[in-house]
Amino acid sequence: MSGEADGREHAATDVLPFGIGRLSKRTVVAALLLLCGLAFGLIAYAQQLLHGDIVSGLRTIGGGGATWGLYIVLDVTFVGFSFAAMLVVVIERLFHVRALQPVTRLAEWIALLSLVMGGMCVLADLGRPLQGLLNLPRYARITSPFFGTFALVIGGYLFATLVQLFLSGRADAAWCLERKPPLPLLHRVWAAGFRGSAGERWRHARVSGWIAVAILPLLVIAHSTLGFIFGIQAGRPGWFSALAAPGFLLLAGVSGVGLLLLVAAGARRWLGLHEALGEATFRWLSNLLLVLTAAFLYLLAVEELTAWYAASTQDFELARERIAGAFALPFWTMVGCFVVAVGALLVEWTRRRVSMPLIVAVALLVNVGAFCKRWLIVVPSQTHGMLLPYGHGSYVPTWVEWGVTLGVLCVGALLLLVVAKLFPLVPVDRTPAPATRPPDALEGGRGVARVVIALSTFAAGSLLLVAGFLWSARYGSDHYVDPPVPFSPVIFIAGVVMTFYAAAVFETIPFTRSVTRATKE
Amino acid sequence: MTSSRRGVLRTLGTALLGALLPSRRANAQTAASKRTLTADGHTPRWGMAIDLDLCTACGGCVVACASENNLPLPDDSTDAAGTGVSWMELVAPRSGEQGVVAELAPMPCMHCDNPPCTKVCPVGATYQNEEGLVVQIWDRCIGCRYCTAACPYSRRYYNWSKPEFPDDLRNLLNPDVATRPEGVVEKCTFCVHRLRKTKENVRREGRLLTDDDVVRLPACAQSCPASAIVFGDLADPTSRVAHAAASPRASRLLEHLGTQPKVYYLSKDRRRSS
Repeated sequence: MSGEADGREHAATDVLPFGIGRLSKRTVVAALLLLCGLAFGLIAYAQQLLHGDIVSGLRTIGGGGATWGLYIVLDVTFVGFSFAAMLVVVIERLFHVRALQPVTRLAEWIALLSLVMGGMCVLADLGRPLQGLLNLPRYARITSPFFGTFALVIGGYLFATLVQLFLSGRADAAWCLERKPPLPLLHRVWAAGFRGSAGERWRHARVSGWIAVAILPLLVIAHSTLGFIFGIQAGRPGWFSALAAPGFLLLAGVSGVGLLLLVAAGARRWLGLHEALGEATFRWLSNLLLVLTAAFLYLLAVEELTAWYAASTQDFELARERIAGAFALPFWTMVGCFVVAVGALLVEWTRRRVSMPLIVAVALLVNVGAFCKRWLIVVPSQTHGMLLPYGHGSYVPTWVEWGVTLGVLCVGALLLLVVAKLFPLVPVDRTPAPATRPPDALEGGRGVARVVIALSTFAAGSLLLVAGFLWSARYGSDHYVDPPVPFSPVIFIAGVVMTFYAAAVFETIPFTRSVTRATKE
Repeated sequence: MTSSRRGVLRTLGTALLGALLPSRRANAQTAASKRTLTADGHTPRWGMAIDLDLCTACGGCVVACASENNLPLPDDSTDAAGTGVSWMELVAPRSGEQGVVAELAPMPCMHCDNPPCTKVCPVGATYQNEEGLVVQIWDRCIGCRYCTAACPYSRRYYNWSKPEFPDDLRNLLNPDVATRPEGVVEKCTFCVHRLRKTKENVRREGRLLTDDDVVRLPACAQSCPASAIVFGDLADPTSRVAHAAASPRASRLLEHLGTQPKVYYLSKDRRRSS
């Protein structure tokens, strides 16, 4: 399986590493299988579009069902993946953790693709997806936690991730461009004139630090709004909890770091990244997973203790359903998965070694546990969390929902496969940035223009961001149905986009010489 | 003739100003013209009182509501279980616990003064109007069903499939109420279309709105054979609904949540919740 050798061997030759640009039989078969899954997902979604949500297992709350189900569980899962992936990137940038450096590119891709998949799940859940695509940009209101999910996560945070990925991948794109990549135009656009000068590297080191600082609060706020969707519903026992937002953050960390470990292990095995993704990386990630999982178990204990010691009647009933009732299976599966995972990771930690099969098993376990926990968050409060005496309900997803799920997963995997065949999944250009500011850092006379344009972009972005936010909050409109300025949420997202784009402006504009010219010289 | 020229100029000037000034001014003016319908110019706060000591749970209100508001006929197939739409429903609150005692109580939308559903709507498709009614803009709804998850009274219904009306019923649809498409959430409106019509009539007759105009205005109240349902202006202390709401027999559902529902239940066996 390790036929495609490590990048360093190829660095001297003009061949791209990790099977980039080469289609092996295995790749083609995998792509075909994923396309079949995608086709099945499309057929399932077509059923939903044709006949309405009646083909799903969802039903009216109080009428015997749950109004949110698998799609919402998956949306939370995918956004959680992106949260954890970006968290790893931020930790690497802020604390200069060298062990995490090889896995940052993969993490950035996971963050991006997960957000796309999360957005697809939200669309799949909407009864009128086209109206959603039109009305959310027009009318999204900040008093709805859904605003956070739509505007902050899917809009703003997606773009911030994109800027981070674009800037950190420029050096590698330029590196690939010198080695005749399959689609050179893509690499040329991505490289955006990167020449590999000390000044460029110094600027990138500075900028990526700023992005990490800026993206961290955005990350926490955006993911908290997902927790608030449930946590601020006073009328739904089991949801109304101040622990919802921090719980979501921790669980996202657990499942996301688990996924990163899984994908990294897969890439290491199938793309021949044994040297590039070394043991140190996996040890660091598994220790991070240990801390996060243990912290999540603590939150879980606090939550259950409160429910059993002094909760209201309905909360207590829900707790009983969880432990010995309709939801005992997912509950105990979750507890079992997390406890075994923590135990296994502790043993690995004390033995100071890394066993890949064990890490893969643990990563799978925590994700099964996280899925169960999210199910326990979303479903029971709807089917059993009624304050008025409606009968208990039940929810079992239908083949349509599983089909759409399969389709979304296949889209993600397919995109990752395409990415792996076009770009290196681990950073290949590892020339360190100069520690002190080199003389060409701001490139002479262009330096002033660079700083001025970047700062203006940042200022304009911040202005749009604040204005868009206030207008989306219906500030200046006496009636909260319509914002005073049409498409205010778009203005807000444009503000987030421009603010982060200032980083790209600082690194790339004004353009200097193209890569090819630089190479010739 | 000079006066008419002045009139034209004044109209033009007003139109120009109206176009330049923010829409808030225009809204405030329309609101003011609506307010003149009450004696002291106050804005009404529409509410309902349901006397459970009078209610016989005959279900007349449920049927009247469905027919007035073009609700699709219930589908009895097992596939459709849990997808029915019933703006007014007979529910059995547990005695004592929720402050209301009855075997079965009619439950419309509570039209809360602090509605959890409008807060969470991502696009403002549901909102509370100036007179306290929680209304819905069908066409703006994107079908995320957040409001249905947020309503503690479970009074919101989602159209899980395209509403079907048999051919012989199609001609009986109420032309004053739009039918809702698949994928939107709907709920009781306190028959806001009837309220609008009544106001227009009263305005045309050049008089003030009286309690008698509205006390049986919603279809449920009109059809109730025991006259157990009273509708009216809670802000007018002389109205029948305000009297009922002030009765020692009155209580509201889930008051501890702070939603401030505007539907009052009257019962001799009332127990105070919390």
